[in-house]
Formats: sequence, C-alpha cells, structure tokens
Amino acid sequence: MSTVEVQSIRDKEALASAASTEVIIDIRAMNKWFGQFHVLKDINLSVHKGERIVICGPSGSGKSTLIRCMNRLEEHQQGDIEIDGVTLDTNLKNIDQIRSEVGMVFQSFNLFPHLSVLQNCTLAPIWVRKMPKAEAEELAMEYLTRVRIPEQAEKYPGQLSGGQQQRVAIARALCMRPRIMLFDEPTSALDPEMIAEVLEVMIELADTGMTMLCVTHEMGFANRVADRVIFMDEGEIVEQNTPHEFFENPQSDRTKLFLSQILAH
Amino acid sequence: MVAAAEPGISAQQPKEKVDPIRWLKENLFSTWYNVILTALGLYIIYLVAAGLYQWGIADAVWVAETRRECLDKNPNGACWAGVFAWFEGFIYGRYPLDERWRINFGVIVLVLWMVPLWLPRVQGKIGIAASVVAFYPFFAGYLFMGGDKSLFLQVMVSIAIVSFIGVIVHAVIGVTSGGSLARTLLRLTGVSGAGDKLQRNLLIIAALAAVAIAFMAQAQWEVPTVSWVRWGGLFLTLVISGIGITTALPAGIVLALGRRSQLPVIRVLCTTFIEVFRSVPLITILFMATTMFPLFLPEGFTLNKLVQVIVAVCLFAACYMAEIVRGGLQAIPKGQYEAAHAMGLGYWRMMGFIIMPQALKFMIPNIVGNLIGLLKDTTLVTIIGLFDILNMIQAASQDVPWRGLHKEPMFVGALIFFIICFSMSKYSQHLERKLNTDHR
Repeated sequence: MSTVEVQSIRDKEALASAASTEVIIDIRAMNKWFGQFHVLKDINLSVHKGERIVICGPSGSGKSTLIRCMNRLEEHQQGDIEIDGVTLDTNLKNIDQIRSEVGMVFQSFNLFPHLSVLQNCTLAPIWVRKMPKAEAEELAMEYLTRVRIPEQAEKYPGQLSGGQQQRVAIARALCMRPRIMLFDEPTSALDPEMIAEVLEVMIELADTGMTMLCVTHEMGFANRVADRVIFMDEGEIVEQNTPHEFFENPQSDRTKLFLSQILAH
Repeated sequence: MVAAAEPGISAQQPKEKVDPIRWLKENLFSTWYNVILTALGLYIIYLVAAGLYQWGIADAVWVAETRRECLDKNPNGACWAGVFAWFEGFIYGRYPLDERWRINFGVIVLVLWMVPLWLPRVQGKIGIAASVVAFYPFFAGYLFMGGDKSLFLQVMVSIAIVSFIGVIVHAVIGVTSGGSLARTLLRLTGVSGAGDKLQRNLLIIAALAAVAIAFMAQAQWEVPTVSWVRWGGLFLTLVISGIGITTALPAGIVLALGRRSQLPVIRVLCTTFIEVFRSVPLITILFMATTMFPLFLPEGFTLNKLVQVIVAVCLFAACYMAEIVRGGLQAIPKGQYEAAHAMGLGYWRMMGFIIMPQALKFMIPNIVGNLIGLLKDTTLVTIIGLFDILNMIQAASQDVPWRGLHKEPMFVGALIFFIICFSMSKYSQHLERKLNTDHR
C-alpha cells in the first residue's frame, strides 16, 4: 500500500471518528496497586464512540491491567471509570451490565474446551441476553461466517489451530453485540502465519465502526487502523497521538527508545 | 523402513498387525533373563490357579446339610453347601422371607427408572436423573419400611409413581420415534399449535391430574412394617452406601464452593466442618452418632440407629468429596473464570456451565475412587451392630449347623465387592473417554 493510500484511508477514518463526539469510556485520575506495587498511576483517558485505540508499551507497563480494569477483571483503588454512562464500582449489577456491553478477547483465547464452537458462542446470548436458542445459534453462525470459520461450528476448540481459536473467541465476544471490544494481546500467543488471519478479522471489525481498544505489539496494525496510539511505560500514559505522528515524530525519549527496539527487527 | 521412502504411504500411519507369536517373542522371550522371569511368572500363576481349582472346584462339596457333613465328605475342599444355605441371607439380611420380593421390586424399579439415562435417543436426561434422586427415595423408603403412610409420604409416593411411569413412557417414545412425552401428549390432544404458556400450563395440569389419580390408587396400597433392625446383608450395604454416594457429590460441591467463598462466615463454617469431620476416623463418627449423640437428646426421645448411621456416613463422605471437588476446581485455569466473567455470566451460571463441568471431568477418577472407598467403608457399621453383608458373613460362621465356616463366605463376599467395585471403575473409565472433548 502506498503512503498516499494509507494517508487517504486515515483521513477518512479521522473524519468518521470526528463525527462522533459521544464519550463511551471515561477514566479520570485512576490509580491501581498490586499490594505495594503501583501499577497504574493517574490514568486519564477518554474514548469516543467508534474510536480505535492501540495501546503499546514494554512488558510490565500496565497496559493489560488498564484494559482489564475496564470490565473489572481487575479492581482499581482510586479514581473513576465510567463505561457508556455507567460507573464501575462495587455495585455488582453495574459490573454485570458493563461486562455484557464490553467484549473481551484474551491472549490465550480462553475458549471453553468442553463446549463446541457453536455452544461457546451461544452460551452468553442465551443466558445473559435471554435470547431463544434458535435465534442465538443463527446469530452465532452469522458471526462465525464473518470470521470465516462457519464450517468448524460443531467442532471442539481443541481440534482447531491457534488462529482459528482466536477467531472463534472474537466471534464469541461479538455474539453479545458489545458496544466496546477489548483486545488483550490477541496475537501474542500465535505462530507468525496465523497472526495475519486474526489481524484481518480485526481490521474488518474496525471497518464496521466498533469501538476498539487493543493492546498489541503489531505496529503495522496500529498504523493501519488506529485513530490513536497510546504509549505506556511504568504505569503511566507517556504519550498519545495519531499513528502517523506517533511513529514519525515521537515526543518523549522513552517512546523513541521503545520504537527503536520494536522496529529494529 | 521401505514404506517410509514412498510418499503417500508414509502420509498415513501404518496400521500394525498384531502377530501373537512375534508379540510373545518381543515382550516375553527377548532376552535370557526375560525367559526366566516369564517361566517364573507362569509357575506362580500355575500354583495359585491350581490351588484354587483344587480347593474351590475339584475337592469342593456342593451338597450338604451341615459343615460336619462337608468335612466328612472332603476335608480339603471348599464347603459351598454352606454358602448356598446362607446366600439369601448375605443378600437380604434378616428381612422377612415373605417380604423379600419388595427388595427385588425396588431394585427393578430403580434399574428401569435409570435405564433411559443410557439410551442415546432419549431427551431430557438431566430431568430423568433429577426425578430419580428426588422421588425414588420416597417410593423405595415406603416400599422397604412399610406400615402407615403419613400424608406427606403419600403425596411423595404418588409423585414418584407418576414420574416413574412418565419416564418409562417418555423413554419408549424417545427410543421409537425420537420424540418426547410432553410433545406427544400435546400432539395427541391437538393443542400443539397453542402458545408456549398455554402448552406449559396444560402440561402442568395433566401432571397434577396424574398425581391425583396415583394418589387415589396408592391409598389402597399398604405393605406390612419391616423394622430397620431386620434390614441387612448386601441390601443394607447398598442402602447406606447408595444414599451416601448420592448425597456426597452435591453436598461436597456445596462445601467446596463454600470453602472457596469470599464471604468469611461461610468460608470459616465450611472449612471447620470439613476439617473436623475429615480428621476423625469414620468409626469414631459412627460411634459418636449412635452412642454419644442420643445423650444430648431429651429423655425418651429415641432416634432410629440406621438413620443416625446414614447421616454420619453422608457427612463423612461429603467432607472427603468436598476436598476432591476443591482440588478439581483449582485445576481450572484462571482464564476460564475471566472469560466467563467478561461475558457477564453470574457466579452460579459460571460455576454451572463453565467451571463445574470441566472440574468434574478432571475429578472422575478421584470421585469414583472415593465412592468405591465409601462402599467398602460401610462395612464398618458391623461394629455398631448393623447386619450388613460382612456381619451376615460372620453370622454364617456362628450358625450352629455351619459353625466355623469362615473361608467360603468371605470368599463370596470378596467376590461380590470385587464385582461391584470393578464395574464402577470400568464405568468411570468409559465416562472419562466419552467426556474427553479436549483432544489434547
């Protein structure tokens, strides 16, 4: 793809996201500790509806913890997190409501090995959304078709390759028709030849206007789909910018060092 | 290998033919010391088998009136005549002769009720299993105990009769046409086009009507009382261990979840309960249940000793099961919990659909091992004076005509236990293979 094309796509996307000013995730002065260890320091972040954000940074920088706080897989100790107008606190009802609106894809897939691919996808719609079984299965097949594995619906996760499993995991999350999708290093556990098939599905998903937050080291992906790249180090958001600015013109020394390391090979 | 050089053939794993002579050569006679070991092994097997044959078959006495007569006929052989004379006693204990059909009938009903669980085309197996666990005990309880029925027992017996007949009809429909009882009923009455709610209400009304009819019918049915004192033999062993086995798993699951609970009160209660009961030998618990516990009761208030024993066995088994379940739960990766949370599944749905099914699968070998242990442990009730199979076997050796007959009844008892326990073990292996969907 030539630079001009990339630029034009990015402009289009910038326009698209600029159109929506509705804030869907609002994090204010959030702090989190693991015991004595201060993992997240004074995080302020607001995400607009339809925005695609890539979060990167060295390991241990707190990027996974940050997105895991957004559906309360991790508890924050200070500050506010508001998802789609609902505040995340100890109220279990709010937590369940937010979780049903936020889809998550994990590094290690976390498919349920005792259920078939189709059952993996229909479980939550049936039991959380109270959808009739037939309708849930239809929906699941639609999303499995979208991630291009409808023919595997009756198989068990253990019979699929890593890339296929991760695509099922994406379909499973989409079956809840979430308003936000969180990706926690979705391609880190995959063999190189399988990364492409997963990224392709994610790019298509980005084109549908889904709000996405993605922790990843795939800088090509960041460059292509992200509206904003966030760089974290030692529990802080060090720098955030459009991908073009971020890669071409990094501001802080830590970002420059990280980019030189990650792009060196 | 030559085959490997040719592509196309090497692509498929070659299926090796088992050649018995070659197998013997490779496994038993490969080296000179293997030859010696094989010969030695065969010799030991021969000694045991020949001895058993000589004692149990060749020299055995099959027909005799007393042990004296056995010894006169052949003092070296087994006296199977004594086992024949006492065999019914081993099975039914001292249950009255005229009433033994009730035990047979109860067993037949249980088997028929459970057979649909293994028929592939029958639907709603969880419901069938639940109906067995929930209602069979009332039916069997009355059948075995007899006497007057309280109103509650009458209602439960009626429900049990209706669900038993319902399950059988449902299974027949399932096997012949793959349908279900409910749908067939709706079709026959011509209301299958009606709304879901109406259909459900009609089915509930039909079930209630059936229970009412059964209630009328069973009111006439009465069997004489058989006191628990006369229960015994394999029957008693199976009653105690059967109740223990069916309560241990659910109670164990509840205790294990309680021990892992985030609520401190529940956690401390469950942990204390498990640790106390697990740290005391079963025999002590049995003694405490039957001798110490009545001391705390008001005067003149006597409890059924059998009930006390069953409760004690259940509590003990539940504590062991709880620790097995907890071990199984710990084997489930954290990611499974996180994925379930991330979908918005609540605690009970996560446990019921995601965590428990996987954990139970890991635990099958342990659970079955534990249940086998429980079955064998119930022989301890001998010590507090219940006539289970072991005590009946000992009673046989003290019976005047057969005094001193120890070996043969014990041999038969061991055989009965072996058959039951080995079948359980085999079935658990079958379950493990069937449930293995991981393909790892």
